[in-house]
Amino acid sequence: MNMTPRTVVVGSLLILGVIVFMVVVVPYATRIQAPSDIFRSRTSQEADGRSIYIANGCVYCHSQSIRSIDWGLGAERIAQAGDYIQDKPILLGSERTGPDLSQEGGEHPDDWHMAHFINPRYTRPLSIMPAFAFLGTEDIKKLTTYAQSLGLKNSDQRVERQQFWKKEAIEAYEKGPEANVKWLHETVPEGWRNVPNPYPTTEAGLARGHKIYQDFCLGCHSPIGDGMGPAQPYVYPPPLNFTILKGRGISGGILYYQIMNGITGTAMPYFKRELESEKIWDVGNYVAVNFINQTDADTEPKGIDAAYEP
Amino acid sequence: MTDPTPTMPTNYPTAKGFCLTSAFWMVVATSMGLLGATELIAPDLTENVGWLVFGRIRPIHVNLVLFGFVTPGLLAAAFYYVPKLLRTELYSEKLGVITVLAWNFTMVFVVVSLALGYTQGREYAEMIWPIDMLIVGGFSLVFVNLIMTVARRKEPILYVSVWYVCAGIVLTAVTFCLGNVIWRPNTGSLVGIPDAILLWFYGHNVFGLLLTPLSAGVAYYVIPRACRAPLYSHTLSLFGFWSLLVVYTHIGTHHLLQVPVPTWLKVISIVDSVAMVIPVMAFLINIWYTAKGKLGEIHADIGAKFVFTGTIMYFFVSIQGSMMALPDVQRVTHFNNWVVAHAHVGVLGFAGMIALGGIYYILPRITGRPLYSRFLADFQYWMILIGVIGFTVVLTIVGLIQGNAWLNGETVYRVLPEMHVYYITRASLGLMIFSSALMGLYNIVRSIFFNTGEIS
Repeated sequence: MNMTPRTVVVGSLLILGVIVFMVVVVPYATRIQAPSDIFRSRTSQEADGRSIYIANGCVYCHSQSIRSIDWGLGAERIAQAGDYIQDKPILLGSERTGPDLSQEGGEHPDDWHMAHFINPRYTRPLSIMPAFAFLGTEDIKKLTTYAQSLGLKNSDQRVERQQFWKKEAIEAYEKGPEANVKWLHETVPEGWRNVPNPYPTTEAGLARGHKIYQDFCLGCHSPIGDGMGPAQPYVYPPPLNFTILKGRGISGGILYYQIMNGITGTAMPYFKRELESEKIWDVGNYVAVNFINQTDADTEPKGIDAAYEP
Repeated sequence: MTDPTPTMPTNYPTAKGFCLTSAFWMVVATSMGLLGATELIAPDLTENVGWLVFGRIRPIHVNLVLFGFVTPGLLAAAFYYVPKLLRTELYSEKLGVITVLAWNFTMVFVVVSLALGYTQGREYAEMIWPIDMLIVGGFSLVFVNLIMTVARRKEPILYVSVWYVCAGIVLTAVTFCLGNVIWRPNTGSLVGIPDAILLWFYGHNVFGLLLTPLSAGVAYYVIPRACRAPLYSHTLSLFGFWSLLVVYTHIGTHHLLQVPVPTWLKVISIVDSVAMVIPVMAFLINIWYTAKGKLGEIHADIGAKFVFTGTIMYFFVSIQGSMMALPDVQRVTHFNNWVVAHAHVGVLGFAGMIALGGIYYILPRITGRPLYSRFLADFQYWMILIGVIGFTVVLTIVGLIQGNAWLNGETVYRVLPEMHVYYITRASLGLMIFSSALMGLYNIVRSIFFNTGEIS
């Protein structure tokens, strides 16, 4: 084969042209343009937030692409082409150093996002996300609006639920500790309220609880459980001061349920995806022993002792 | 290959300019990589310094590595070997020097715009429209200079290195325009899923149509010259060249196997990703058989040593890449540090090594004096080799931890503390690579400007 300059340049361009037609133009011409069931357009505030998201390279650590094999945040809905029909550019992402954000909207209330953007360690002590206080309050609010829109129609439902329970939570908080604790307990289903922590208090269990408390809880509730962690100035109702629970009908079951399920409307997220059963009992008992000074661990009814118990 | 005869004396200002460009931006690019790696260990290190936030540092690192360090390094060698192989002078050294200056200005704009948050948010296509234009302009100037040199050649036969560099530059200029959607200056993107398809078509072609052909061009020149042996097979060069262009351009969608894109497109990308073995082995067999029994000669020339090591890295990164395109493998490797490891073997281990090899090979030949310090270049070689292999091991482990933990239902947050110790190791290796870049800059500057070695 005689490789003349023309052969090299024109030949390569011809090959490229054919392949571009096949792998770019044909997929473009046959693209799905119908909106998916959750699709809606973004508001201008949400679009502004998206520009801030792009400008600060959030896409390098957060994907927006839920796969059939995913278990985590957003796994309730696998991504469809119709979700992205107004995205320019599309922000699928290529790495997941942080969680996928496809369905982030309504996962937390707005005030949690404020504390988290100011410094992610305030709400998530092990996070390696950069602090975004430098953006200023206005831009953080726009970014939050965008985050709350992720999941489109699905997120709207969740945001509405956050707002409903936020009102209830604030009302209860403002009536004083007695009424607040009563409300908190009443939001737990009856059966759970009467369940004591079925396991004994052990040194090992408290050590595990201590570790989990440090990794998940102290940003809001503080190392001494008084609710004055670094996130406190940004969230309302403020994080619970555990000491007010003493003598007001707290039980291991209530602690377990609130940690597992979170308190929607407040900055308290659910931890059922991150902590297995034993870890939730352990951190609940750590709080009960150290901060409430009142534990029902190892009291009746507790059923048959677990095999490992001393 | 044809034996190049000495041409009219020239002091190769364009090649020298690209050597210095590459060495300088390697320092800046690796410092950004090191800073980013450190931020993953100590996220509050640069707390509230907006322009140093990880999400802005990362694209600066990636784009500077691609367009500041590796591409100019490979071009430096091209501006030496193209005139040599064609037994003529470069069409215009003046145009070449202007290209070098414009290239450096462009890189400054890249850094400043990305640091200030002016980005289009698409990987490898982040730069805003005016900078896209400057980059396309840069490639065009290079192309004009090379093709005019070809037109004025005294040697009728074009050697394989010349095919690769001419095709690489012209195809990159075209795919860069396409991938950056330059007809839409404001967003630089299409809408929805087709945007992802186009982006990864372009993104993968930065490797397939720019770094790989330019690196192959350097390897095809340096290895036979250093071995003083003819190229093993002309047929294999032809086969490798055309199959590379056909196969590599099909595979971009393997970045989107877990995304709602058409299944037939995924099938094409997987089949061609596996078929990448063909152009890769055609090239490697050709190079390795040329060097057969001549490893002593390669070891004796520091430039050839870098280049040959690059070809070994090319083997590993390509076989790994073919494997990673298999959907079952990707269930574990997608979205995590496994891919970061893969990218570093490809861009630093293969193309970066060959770029440095090209520079060290041509420096004595364009200055007429020996390298300022062979020891420093050797030291740099080992620092990079250990750095890039260390990166691969560490980041592959992290990727496996992440991927398997996620498949097992663990949340991203739970896996973070497991990555910490590996991230510390990675940053330490990054410090080695950064130090080696400083060493390289010093060596290259001394070799060009303050070289007191004997004129050969």
